[in-house]
Amino acid sequence: MKRDPIPGNGSSASGATRLRVRFDRVGLDLGGRRIINELSFSLEAGEFVCVVGPSGCGKTSLLRLLAGLYQPDSGAILRDGKPIDGPSRDVAIVFQDYGRALLPWRTVAGNVSLALEAAGVPAKLRDGRIRSLLDQVGLGAHAAKFLNQLSGGMQQRLQIARCLAQEPALLLMDEPFGALDAMTRQALQDEVGAIAAQTGAAVLFITHDLDEAIYLGDRVLALVAGPVRGQSSLARELPVALPRPRDQLASREDPEYLRLRRELFELIRDERP
Amino acid sequence: MVGWNVGGAFVTLAVVLAWSAVARLRLVSPVFLPSPEATGQALWAGLNQGDLASLTVGTVERMVVGWLLASIAGVVLGGLLGVSPALRTYLQPTLEFMRPLPASAIMPVGIALFGLTPIMVTAVVAFGAIWPVMLSSAHGFSAVEPRLTEVARILRLSRLAFLVKIGLPSALPDVLAGVRLSLTIALILAVVGEMLASQQGLGMAILLAARSFHAADLFAGIVMLSVVGFVGNALLQACERRALAWQATT
Amino acid sequence: MSVWRRVLRALLLPTGMLAAGEIVMRVQGYAGDALSKPTDVIVALYRALADGTFARATAQTLASSFAGLALGTSLGLAVGLWFGLSFVARSLSAPTVEALRTVPAVALIPLSMLAFGFGVRMESSVVAFACIWPMLILTQAAVRQVEPRLLEVARMLQLPRSGRISKIIMPAAAPRIFVAFRISVGVALVVGITVEIAANPYGLGYLAVTSQQNLRPDLMLATILWIGLLGWGLNAALHGAQRRAFPLAPDRVAVPQQGTR
Repeated sequence: MKRDPIPGNGSSASGATRLRVRFDRVGLDLGGRRIINELSFSLEAGEFVCVVGPSGCGKTSLLRLLAGLYQPDSGAILRDGKPIDGPSRDVAIVFQDYGRALLPWRTVAGNVSLALEAAGVPAKLRDGRIRSLLDQVGLGAHAAKFLNQLSGGMQQRLQIARCLAQEPALLLMDEPFGALDAMTRQALQDEVGAIAAQTGAAVLFITHDLDEAIYLGDRVLALVAGPVRGQSSLARELPVALPRPRDQLASREDPEYLRLRRELFELIRDERP
Repeated sequence: MVGWNVGGAFVTLAVVLAWSAVARLRLVSPVFLPSPEATGQALWAGLNQGDLASLTVGTVERMVVGWLLASIAGVVLGGLLGVSPALRTYLQPTLEFMRPLPASAIMPVGIALFGLTPIMVTAVVAFGAIWPVMLSSAHGFSAVEPRLTEVARILRLSRLAFLVKIGLPSALPDVLAGVRLSLTIALILAVVGEMLASQQGLGMAILLAARSFHAADLFAGIVMLSVVGFVGNALLQACERRALAWQATT
Repeated sequence: MSVWRRVLRALLLPTGMLAAGEIVMRVQGYAGDALSKPTDVIVALYRALADGTFARATAQTLASSFAGLALGTSLGLAVGLWFGLSFVARSLSAPTVEALRTVPAVALIPLSMLAFGFGVRMESSVVAFACIWPMLILTQAAVRQVEPRLLEVARMLQLPRSGRISKIIMPAAAPRIFVAFRISVGVALVVGITVEIAANPYGLGYLAVTSQQNLRPDLMLATILWIGLLGWGLNAALHGAQRRAFPLAPDRVAVPQQGTR
């Protein structure tokens, strides 16, 4: 189920509405091993796609391929028909280890500013943008703080804010809430859902938490280990036809949710070595 | 906390008193162990009437000039090394080989090249002091968090922007540690240089004091040298704390 | 990259520079007394090794340095252990230690000359003083940094104090203490050579200075090269020993600077 971007939110509407990314029988070798094998799927602007699968089956490499940090060894990754040949500023990654992806020597505002500086936004305009981005993630009151004064959840919000500053057409999230406690995780899930709806970006969200995948996604891609150990290929794509906006209590009690959950669980379990 | 500091001060006082007793009882010959009182007097006289102050300034000047040259060159060279794995492969082994070389061993070469002149001392100080800065800067720049390098690629930061916004702040703890070590080496080399080249400074002064059996003056000079070392280090540490305030864990 | 390629790349720059220097000097007909053709240096090195000049000087340097090292490190180790184990001793001694630490070892050279004249005793006392501090501070830190979880285990097992020290604290602190010793060896060599260059007519440092004074730049540079090899060799040997005896020891340990405890 696609969402149309809400206009006038500072999102680059042209980039967000037209994005179409396609994985076409992509293969990737790392360390001499074929980590990803014949993976095909597609992703469009406004979609929220969750990827689940056992650890070590190449989910993170998948993200890096999409970001242009890796190049595929076979097959092609096409963006609007053209192959991705490197990183581009409108693709943002939210890393799981947020502490390592932020600058400890800059304040909260300074960290967000980095993305704007990189894009060449003049100093006068930066302050306003930083403020509105921080408000969007709920860090407005903490603009002058340093990383060591922030909790884990706040640091992850900061990373999200910096990624939003890139005005991403494609937002890649690598198990972003894996290192956070359950309550923070729930709060951030809803926030990310709302932000995604607002900006209309395409979101690829990696998680090992099946509940989270179904709760957040329009579609769930279940990767499973391939015929060779450590290799992944697509097992199934599950469309998630739950109504939006999602609610932590109501959605998770929806019979459709439970059905999807069972189906996904059995899928993963059956494929477990 | 305060209690322990006071207690510690008492212990220091006790040590000084013991020293005084040993000197008074002539357990060690006063030729080479003056009493603390005599040392204090020599310090006072030297600073007020004598030229202890100007001698100290001389040593400090030589130390600081050489150290500044070394630090700037060291950071730049270390930075170049740190960001270029190719350069590192070619240069690192040679540099690692030179690391355990005593800086003072360069002194004879310096004397051969420049004679027993002030230039020689500054050159040797600079050459000796460059190694800690360069090596630790290279390490700092090469050890930038890989996650941040990926972020920089995604944001498509230019080489220069990466160095200034991410590389340098990330390397700063290592750079500052190297700079501090450099100062210690600069002091040592300045003193040895003075001893060899008969330059006006504390090194020369304590050598002369020893040769003329003026133990109190000798000890006064040693105290001044310790003060120079201590103050220099304390100043740098203060700068380091301010520059690295973001590191403090709450 | 294979090991061979890496070795070749490592040697490329130094050999290249030496070759260039050699060629320039030969072409220019350089006859100064500050520098020397690399080939002359190699010849001087070989000759000095062959006729025992280096052997004698090295023995002198090592004798004084190691004597000072032994004295300084045993003192530093004993006191460091004491301070590490005893909060009272540590806190009360801190200002005194910090004050004594600030004395640069080179400042003691004239004092040592005054007390002992020239020779082994003079040099080894300066070296000993210099070696006390890294050993003391790092040993103290090593003892204090023993994993607190292990100390809790010792309490649960109700180990007596002696048992706690011998079975848990010492083995846990040993790797870092060995690294402290390695650092002290480096300090001993550096300080020893410095004393010889500054004052003591003895050993390799003195040989370098006299070579320069006798206008023998080839021997001077050969001596410096030999000192470098010595330092590198000692460090490599100790590093190897460390890796075998204490595989878990950290490679580099920073000496806590003045003002920190």
